[in-house]
Formats: sequence, C-alpha cells, structure tokens
Amino acid sequence: MNESFASLVILVPIIGAFTIPLFAKISPRMRVLAATIIAFATSLLAMALIPFVIGGNEFILRKPLILGFDFVLIIDALSVFMSIAASFIGALIVLYSAGYISHEENQTEYYFMVLLFIGSMMGLVYSANLIFMYIFWEITAICSWRLIGFYRLKEFVVKANKAFLITFLGAVVMLLGFILIYSQTNSFDLTEMRGVMVPGMAVLLILIGMFSKSATLPLHTWLPDAGIAPSTVTSLLHAAVLVKIGVYAYARIFCWTFQLPDMWYQVIPVIVIISSLVAAGAALVETDLKRILAYSTVSQIGYIFLGLSTMNPIGIAGAILFLLMHGLAKGGLFLCAGIVEHNTHKRDIRELGGLIKTMPITAICFLICALSVIGIPPFGGFFSKFMVIMGAVKAGQFWIAGLGLFIAVLTAVYLFRVFNMVFLGDYSKLDITIKEKTKSMLFVVIVLAGCSLLAGIFVSYPMKLVNVATSEITSWLTPWLTAQHY
Amino acid sequence: MANSTTLLISILLPVAFAVIVFLTPSKLRLLRDAFSFIGASIVLCLGFYLFGVKNAELNIPWLGMDINFDLRLYHFNSLIIMAVSVFLFLITIYSFVKMKEHSRAREYYTYLFLTTAFVNGAVLANNFVLMVFFWESLLVTLYGLIVIGNKEAYKTALKSFILVGLCDFCMILGIGILWYLTGSLNLPISPLEPDTNGLAALSCVLMLIGALGKAGVMPFHTWIPDAAIDAPVTVMVFITAVLDKILGIYLFVRISLDFFVITMNSPLSMFLMILGALTIVFAIFMTFVQNNFKKMLAYQGVSEVGYMILGIGSATPIGIAGGVLYMLNQTIFKSGLFLSAGSIEHRTGTMDFDKLGGLRNKMPLTMICFVICAVACCGLWPFNGFVSEEMVLHGAMETSGGIIFMIAGWVGVIFMGASMIKAGNSIFWGKENKELSKVKESELLITLPIVVLALLCIVFGIYNYFPIVTFVEPIFFGYAGFFEHSGFTAHTLNFFNPVAITSFICLLLGVVVYRYGWAKNNKSAALSSEAVRNFPVLKNIYNLAEAKIFDIYDQGLKFLKALGYILYYGVDRVVDFMYEKIIAGTVRVVGAILRFAHNGYYANYLAWCIGGLIIIVAIISLLS
Repeated sequence: MNESFASLVILVPIIGAFTIPLFAKISPRMRVLAATIIAFATSLLAMALIPFVIGGNEFILRKPLILGFDFVLIIDALSVFMSIAASFIGALIVLYSAGYISHEENQTEYYFMVLLFIGSMMGLVYSANLIFMYIFWEITAICSWRLIGFYRLKEFVVKANKAFLITFLGAVVMLLGFILIYSQTNSFDLTEMRGVMVPGMAVLLILIGMFSKSATLPLHTWLPDAGIAPSTVTSLLHAAVLVKIGVYAYARIFCWTFQLPDMWYQVIPVIVIISSLVAAGAALVETDLKRILAYSTVSQIGYIFLGLSTMNPIGIAGAILFLLMHGLAKGGLFLCAGIVEHNTHKRDIRELGGLIKTMPITAICFLICALSVIGIPPFGGFFSKFMVIMGAVKAGQFWIAGLGLFIAVLTAVYLFRVFNMVFLGDYSKLDITIKEKTKSMLFVVIVLAGCSLLAGIFVSYPMKLVNVATSEITSWLTPWLTAQHY
Repeated sequence: MANSTTLLISILLPVAFAVIVFLTPSKLRLLRDAFSFIGASIVLCLGFYLFGVKNAELNIPWLGMDINFDLRLYHFNSLIIMAVSVFLFLITIYSFVKMKEHSRAREYYTYLFLTTAFVNGAVLANNFVLMVFFWESLLVTLYGLIVIGNKEAYKTALKSFILVGLCDFCMILGIGILWYLTGSLNLPISPLEPDTNGLAALSCVLMLIGALGKAGVMPFHTWIPDAAIDAPVTVMVFITAVLDKILGIYLFVRISLDFFVITMNSPLSMFLMILGALTIVFAIFMTFVQNNFKKMLAYQGVSEVGYMILGIGSATPIGIAGGVLYMLNQTIFKSGLFLSAGSIEHRTGTMDFDKLGGLRNKMPLTMICFVICAVACCGLWPFNGFVSEEMVLHGAMETSGGIIFMIAGWVGVIFMGASMIKAGNSIFWGKENKELSKVKESELLITLPIVVLALLCIVFGIYNYFPIVTFVEPIFFGYAGFFEHSGFTAHTLNFFNPVAITSFICLLLGVVVYRYGWAKNNKSAALSSEAVRNFPVLKNIYNLAEAKIFDIYDQGLKFLKALGYILYYGVDRVVDFMYEKIIAGTVRVVGAILRFAHNGYYANYLAWCIGGLIIIVAIISLLS
C-alpha cells in the first residue's frame, strides 16, 4: 500500500504533466483545473504516508536492474517530510498560477514544466540510488531552464542558460563524485552504504553539485539572475523545489548515508556561513525586489547546510524543519512580490511605496512571511533557525553561531527595508487605482502566511515527523556522536 | 491539576481576548471596549489568584528532544504576572478615552492582550526554549504597538525591533553556551561561576545584554526616546515604563541568582555597576535638556534602569533587593508620570514645554498626581522612590568602589530633581499659554488610573514594609546570604542616615541647578537647562548626542550598509564577473579558435589527429 503511494507520488505529477496538452485541447480552464488537481493530489498522496512513517517505520522498494543501477525507493520520515513540504507548496503555487499566468502565452508548456518539475522532485526525494537521483536532478534542471526563460526575451534566455549551465556543471561534477564512490563500494544504492566513510575528493565533487543546485557561494549568482522568471516560477525555485534539492541531497547522502572525513565537518560550516553572510550583504545593497528575495534564499540556505553539518540531533532537526518553514515563508514572500509586480509593473523598491493603503492583505502577508524568515516567534521560522543555531553551539562552533545570529539581524534589516519601502514609506509614489489581486492569488498568500504562523504555534506536529527523521538519520551516528561528545 | 491548567489559561486567555477584540468590527467601538474591559478584568483576577497560589507546574510534550512546554509558577513570577495584570487593567481603562478616536485602536487592544500573554509565558517558562519563544514574540507586539503611532512611527518601530532583537539574539547565544556548559535547557540548572570559567562569563554577559537591552540600558536605549515622540503614550506606559523594565530586571535577577554566581567585587559585578553608573549619569544629563515631556520621561526611565543595575549588579543582598523594589516602584511612579503626560497631551495636544504653562488650576488632579509621582521619582522621603533608592545606594556602598558609584547615583538625584522641577514649572506653573485657556481636567477614566498610581506611591512609601515583606523578600527565600539581611527595612524609613541625608542634599542641589538656569534664561522654566546645555565640554557632548553620533542604531546601520557594499561589490559581483566575463569569454575565445581550426580540409583534420596521437603516446610513455 505504502509502496503504491510512494510510486504514485512520483508518477501522478510526471504522467499528469504529459496529460496537460490533452486537457489544453479541451479548454484552457480544464488545463488549469487539471494541473491544480494533479498538484494537490500529489501533495495528498505524500501526506497519506505520514501514518506509516510517524511510527519510525521505513520501507525500501527495490527493483533490481543491471550493473547496480537498481531502482530503489525509500519511504521514511525524511523523504515523506520533504515530499510533503515540496508538493504542498508546489500545489499552492499552481493554484496561484491560475490568476497570475492567465494572460500569458505558452501556458500549456508552463503547466507541463511545473508538474514535471514537481514530479522529478518527488522522484529525487524518494530515490535511494545515486544514479536515479542524478537523473531526476537533471530533469529538474531542464524544467527550471525552460521556466526561467519562460518569457523568451533574449536576455532572459541568457539568464536561463546561465542557471542551466552552472547547475548542470555542478551536476556533472557530482556525477564524478558518485562514480568515485561506486569505484570504492561497487554500489549506487544508498541503503547499502550507510555509515561508509567516503573519500574527501568524492565529498568535494558531490558538494559542488549540491552547492550549485542550492545556490551557495561561489555557485550562487544564477539564482538572483533567475528573478527574471515569472514570480510563480521563482517561488517554485526558491520555496518548493530547486534550491531545496541540494540540501535534501546533502541530508540524504552526507547525513543519512555516508560518514565524511572529520575535516569536512569543520570546513562546510565555514563555507556556508560565509555564503550566508555574503548573500545577506548583497540583499542589503540590491534594489530589485525579486533579487533581494533571491539573495535572501541564498542566505537562508546557508542555515540549512549549517544545521545539517553540525551532525547533532538539534542541528539536523532544525535544518529539516527549516526546509518546511523557509518554503512556506519564502513562497509567500515571492508570491506577494508577484502581486506587487503584477499590479505595479515595477520591481525596483525605490519606485514603490505606500502600497499597504491599497493592498493591505498582501502587505500583512508579506510581513508575516518576512518575520518567519527572520526567525521571530511565534512564526515557524523561529524554531528552525533557533535549533540550527543551537546545533552550531552544541558542536562547539560558537563564532559560527554568533555569525548566524548576526546574519539574522541583517535579514531583519533588509526584509524590513523592503517592507518599509514597498508597503509603507513614500505614499506619494502610490497609485491609488491599484487594488489587491484575484481571489485565488490572495488566497494562496494568505494560506502561506497563515501556515507560517500556525506552523509556529502548533510546531509540535511537524516536529513529530522531524524528530523521527532526525532519529533515523542519527541512528548510525550514535557511536560517532558519543565520540565527538555531542 | 486545576492550578496547572490555570497556568496555561493565564497565557491562552489574553490570546483569546486578543482574537475577540481583533475580530470585533471597528465600528462597534463600545462592544470592543466592553470586551477589552471584561478581558482585562478577568486577567486581573487571574493575576491575583496566581499570586495567591504561588506554586504550580505544568509539563506538556512539545518539541521532543527533552524540550517540553514546561511552566512553573513560584513567588517571583507570580508577582510579575500580578503586576502586569494590574497595569493591563489600568491602561485599558485609560485607553477607553485616550485611544477612543484612534483609527487603529482595534489593533492596539489586540497587541495589548497579546503582549500580556507573551509576558506571562516568558516568566512562567521553565525551560530556555520556551522562555525565548515568548520573550522574542514580544518583538512582534512591540513593533505593532509602536507602528500604530504617527506617520513616522514605522521607522521607530523598526529601530526598536532591530535593537531589542539584537539583544534577544545575544541572549540566545548566551543560552546556547550555557546549554553547552550545563547540558540542559531545562530549569533549574546549577549556577555557573563566571569568575573562573571564561565561557560561562561570555554566556553570562550575552544573557545580560538580552536582559538589560530589554530593560533599556545604554547603549541599546535609543529607540525609547524616539518612541516617546512617535508612539501613543499608553504604549509608552505599558511597554517601556512597565513591561520591558519588569521583564528585563526579572531576567537580570534570575541570571544573577539562578544561572550564575555573581559575587560582590568580582569583575562581572564591577562591570555591571560601572554600566549602571554610566547609564544613570549619561541618561540623566540627556533628561535634563529635553523640551518634550514624554521624551524627558523616556530618558529618565533609562537613567532609572541604571539604578536597578547598580543595585542588582552590586551582588549584595540589600542591593539586589533594592534593585527589585526599585523596579516595582519605578513602574508605579513612571507610569503615573507617563499617564499624567498623556492626560496633559489629551487636553492640550502638545508635550512641548515652551507651548505649555499655568495648567495647575485647569488640571488640578493631574497636577497633584504629577507632583506626587515626581517627588517619588526623585526619591524624596517618605514616598516609595526613597526606599528603593536608598537600598540601591546602600548596596553600592558595601562594594569596594562604593563611593564612586554612590556619587554617580547622587549625580542622578541632582538632575532628576532639576528635571522634575523643570517639567512641573513648565507645565503647571509659569506663564499661561493663551491658546490653552479653555483646557480643563481630563475625564474620570483618564484621571482614575493616575490617582491610583499616585496613591500607591504614597502607600508603598509610608508603609514600605508591606511591599518589601510581601513582594520582595520572598523572592530570596532559599538563597544563601539573604536571611541575615531580611531586615531590609532597617535602611528604609530611617531618614537620618548619611546616605539618605546626602541624597536629600543632592535633591536640594537639583533645585539650585534648576533655579540657576531659570534665573540665567529669562526666568523660563523650559530654558532652565540651557546653562547646563551650554556648559563647556558638555556642550560638545550634547551636540554629538543630538547628531546621533552615540546612537548605536544609526551608526550600526551605517556599518551594515558599508559591510553590504563590501560583500556585494567585493565578493558577489566579483564571482559573477568570473562567470559572466572570464568563463564565458574564455569559452567564446576557445570556441573561435576551434572554429578556425575546423575549416573543412581533410589534411587539416589529419594533422590534428596525428598531433593528438603523438600527445597520447607521449603521455602514456611518460606515465609508464
């Protein structure tokens, strides 16, 4: 039963994507309806796996193929949590697209790519074979390439190419890392390699792939440039799918499966915190609304890597929770930015002001999501950031934890700078004819903001799944943790 | 069990009323006010009930990893909960009139109740995670309460958010290090000795920044005077005069007693006392030169935090008890003063001294209450401020640098006195402003809370034994070294001791300072501080202060902006340049060369193949 659900979570969006052109033949309305239903069905199927994994159960589905290329699916708390976070936010973005993209051309391609994107993400999340992870990884790269260049202007296509080339380069390098591991273990199956120490070179190669996908310094500049895409796409890239792939892969490969040489547990936190700091600094300087939010994502992704690299339960739990909390809040922020851009046709925050007068709901939702991203309670982002910082402290990395908190202050400064300049500030820049957007768009941002709040107030519910995932990850680590005095 | 549930109710009930008030349409003002009144009344009763109960615990599974939703009621936090409920009730009544016409009154009451819930949660929390959760949640309501002020209030709201948030984040790091050292996030923990453990000292200092930053210590205080101008006066009372002080000092005391062992004359104690002394002196000098009543009170509040730090930082039983009593008394007289300011603003529409004057006959009740709270604030016998001030100064006296700290305290007394006389004369005496000829006393709902607070200043002064024995002393039951000092009152109403007499002389000196400035500046009360303002050296310092050179927020923003430019242009753009220009350019050049090489001639391709073969053979032979 559970294997069917897991298979369906992957198959429904992928096969559903190919049915979109057929629905488009019937009517544009059917196309939107079908895409929305498929996206929400994916999310529901993922949620249906909660009862199974919440008790600490784990199921591995293996279809033997030649040369160790077995098709292996793993249904455990980590994969289910990630798939729920990605598919739920993805589904909300599809719903929002109904209003946002309604007047654009090439909508069939858009919905096809979005569903394929979500499906390949599901495939990646449930795969426990490195080669299949790589395949799904590259499918997401192709989808993101088409979606970033959705508007087809020459300069947009150049940016899309940049995103594709950097992430593709990273993926190819990562593949070399996988091959290096294969040469040592004769297997691509992660479930057979738990606790194996991997060579430092393989770690470096795989990290390049993860950092390129999750936009971490120095492989991050494609992400702010991808802001030329429709806001729904940027939201999808930042909140639900693309940048989360790298961190999920880190959790699955470097936390759940392999043991890294000790040196990497010292080096990775330094790299990611510097990445986080640089991106936060850039966000302070930028004036393009979507680029600021993109730099914010780069900065926040650093926290997730930091939490995972601490290799202690509280840090890992914080990082996993961060995937959900950041997804909800950043998705909300981008969709609010989408409403602003849709209404004003402006993205430069210096040209905006006073929008709270005419768009109060969007403004409040933006503020709530911003507070969650900063890490302020009672919003969900507080718990994830707090636990990541505590994880760093527990690992004895005090200055990194301090820097993490300093970056949280920077986050507050740049996000409030955006809020003040766009929604408050100079009311003379306000066009009073501007109104809130369609009900479906507003509904989605309200849901995301509401979830950011509720996820904080009722944090014990997602934490149940997170704790199971954390204990599964750290199960093989116990002797190692003891040796490290965690 | 019933009491355990009550702990949860003390948090959930204000939240419920916050939701009810928020959902009540703005047009139904009376209904909203009724809900607010009912809510505040129930919270008040609950506050007194919990103070009576004193002991209760609640433990619900929460985050896992041994982090539970763990609440514990004991004497100290039951006192805080009761005090907060009293102030919530008084402020709510006062707000019925004061916030009547405010367009965002609904949000205001919502934040008021939410703030109460968060404060209750923060003090009841029996583990650090839960405490931080509620403590930091207050940032949201602080921002919300300030932002509903005037048009420029959002800037001040952000300033408060960033400064207090910075302090909170320091506290989080401090808690993290404490956890690293003790291995537990749950309370109680075995107190650490910062004098012998560097990490413990770091943790202690970071946590102190969190506690004292909330209370408004220098240099994290700069949002408070700005908020005095931009935020509604009721917000100033509830947040800056009451909650932030109570919470900050509550945590300060717990850090001093429960988490760390701070001993008298230790480096940490000296650091705290120096910090307290500097806060007293610098803030009181700023207080005296203010010409806006609310801003003056805001600076004065900062200076008063200095006294609390001085007392508790002395690490002497009488000093710590004096600091706590000062906190209780300060919330009473400072709220009375702020509410008096609100009453005056309500009727006159201004807080500028040069626009006020001669209101003593028009607003007699406000005037009397102002005078009572002002003299209590100055520490005049027999009002409540006298007792706590004396205890703090006696605590300071017991330390090795006692006389220096006492001088700082007395400097504070001199200018506290001078400021209050300046304010009183500017507002209630002096020349009457003709534009204010029709001013009359405020409504009962405004004056009633002020009268209550003024009466408390008298009662807690004359019967000072009551607050000391009922509220303060039980806090220290169980702590070694406190019982021999349980006769705290020995120091109190005994006016004839050297410290108290010196303090009184300092107050008289304050009168002289005021009088001198008044006489030198056309007998204008509002300009009475000009003599000090233009005093050599002080003049330069005042100029720098008014240019916000000492404002950590303004300077911090400049630093962050510079840092942003360095990181953006020094790192981010350089990396992007590598991709956009160098890598892409190299690919283009290589492509062009290869294109040139691929010219369609077989001979050419053959030459390439032979060349390649030679290279491969060469490599293989080299490797073998």
